[in-house]
Amino acid sequence: MRKMLAFARRNLYEILRDPISYVFCLAFPLVMLGLMTLINKSIPPEANMTLFRIDRLAGGIAVFGQSFLMLFTVLAVSKDRAGSFLVRLYATPMAASDFTAGYLLPVLLLSAAQTLLLSAAALLVSLVSGPTLSVGGLFLMTVTLIPSGALFAGLGLLFGTLFSEKAAPALSSIIISLSAILGGIWFDPDSAGGVLLKICKALPFRYAVQSARAALVLDLGWEAWGFPLTVVIGSAVLVTLAASLVFRTRMRADLN
Amino acid sequence: MNAIETRGLTKKYGPKTAADNLFFSIPEGEFFSLLGVNGAGKTTTVRMLTGLSAPTSGDALVGGHSVVHERDAVRRIIGISPQDTAVAANLTVRENLTLIGTVCGLDRMRLEERIGEMISLFGMAECAESRAKTLSGGWQRKLSIAMALLSEPQVLFLDEPTLGLDVLARRDLWRVIEGLRGKITMVLTTHYMEEAEALSDRVAVMIAGKIAALGSPEELRQATGAKDLENAFIAIAEAAQKGGDLHA
Ligand SMILES: Nc1ncnc2c1ncn2[C@@H]1O[C@H](COP(=O)(O)OP(=O)(O)O)[C@@H](O)[C@H]1O
Ligand SMILES: [Mg+2]
Repeated sequence: MRKMLAFARRNLYEILRDPISYVFCLAFPLVMLGLMTLINKSIPPEANMTLFRIDRLAGGIAVFGQSFLMLFTVLAVSKDRAGSFLVRLYATPMAASDFTAGYLLPVLLLSAAQTLLLSAAALLVSLVSGPTLSVGGLFLMTVTLIPSGALFAGLGLLFGTLFSEKAAPALSSIIISLSAILGGIWFDPDSAGGVLLKICKALPFRYAVQSARAALVLDLGWEAWGFPLTVVIGSAVLVTLAASLVFRTRMRADLN
Repeated sequence: MNAIETRGLTKKYGPKTAADNLFFSIPEGEFFSLLGVNGAGKTTTVRMLTGLSAPTSGDALVGGHSVVHERDAVRRIIGISPQDTAVAANLTVRENLTLIGTVCGLDRMRLEERIGEMISLFGMAECAESRAKTLSGGWQRKLSIAMALLSEPQVLFLDEPTLGLDVLARRDLWRVIEGLRGKITMVLTTHYMEEAEALSDRVAVMIAGKIAALGSPEELRQATGAKDLENAFIAIAEAAQKGGDLHA
């Protein structure tokens, strides 16, 4: 446990002390929050298009922010695997589970902190643009998005282990774009229908966004909130297990 | 007792034999160097001796423990400073030392004690709170060696510790390494002849995965009639190419 926590602290600092993390994980989602709110203002009410209204936008932006934490996890893990710092730790009595938990834990903490900060910003925006968001809803959204944070942390570890240091940035950008599109953050997959909707339904991202939006407006029924949240929890567990298994296998291969 | 004994240690990568049937022993407290050009198999040998790579065949005992069957026991008694600078860039010197001491299982009090000792031994008091990435190459290497020494290993492995350093930083690091002589068994790899000559009790000349010659720098010079280790190395390498075998 002490070994894992010591490694987790190092990974936390590697992200917290890198200024670029703030640009992507906070500044960029905040800019999108402002931009989309402005765009929303110019959409006429007759269009009946509420996707960018703050009460629906906030949940999407929060998930969007989490996907950038995934990016930083991918970069950190692939960089570690390419360098010799990890080699040095391999030569200590650390177990594979110390490594995987040590990578996942700080991302989980950071994603909760990130959602809280983005929620505060969304509250401010809602006070200016309306409709005003409830603090309780924002808090519940933060809690609801913890499993989603774990899902993105797991994806980060998985792709960071699989991708080379060179391929990681490009491939992660693709995954971020896809998760935003297929998560229904910038458009409504239900209005698209067809194959696209099927793909969205087969992946966990849309469920994360749905559960966040439902939590925010305190719509806590099974269909709106419970079911999507359950899907996200299940996916998070599966992805985290898969990532840990892949890391362990790769570590064994590296030590061969 | 021997700190290290290799018994036909061999590593193959596909058709390539990176380390070929190595037999050598290193007595406790000796300063031993593996000298060879790039690709000779030095890192491969160190990786096998530190439990970072499984031998294709053969075995080695480190502190009496087999690197094949008792990797965990080997890990507890060795320290390694890998070839590339292996420090956490965004952690301070002190945080790097704390991290490595904690994962090696030092308790809190002992850890604080050892960190203090390392900081004074390596003269790092002034940069103790600086982030590793802001340090010069020479200071990063010192930190890397301090991290390897922190858990009081019985055997210390230094893989090309002065690679890429300027001449002043190299001499400075030599002094630090020289100061450890006799306290601990040390295995250093290098492709700098004068480095092996200046620091080692004994030198193993590695050529294409094989140990082509082994002896003190003095013995290697005498066996080849060369005036310094560099010329001795060239004579040994040329003899090895002709298929000859030269043992000091
Ligand atoms: N993981 C690996 N896969 C394939 N070949 C390798 C691997 N590691 C080392 N080699 C090869 O083994 C030989 C010895 O390499 P190495 O031990 O790194 O040499 P040195 O440290 O003396 O420069 C080289 O030819 C290198 O290309
Ligand atoms: Mg090498």
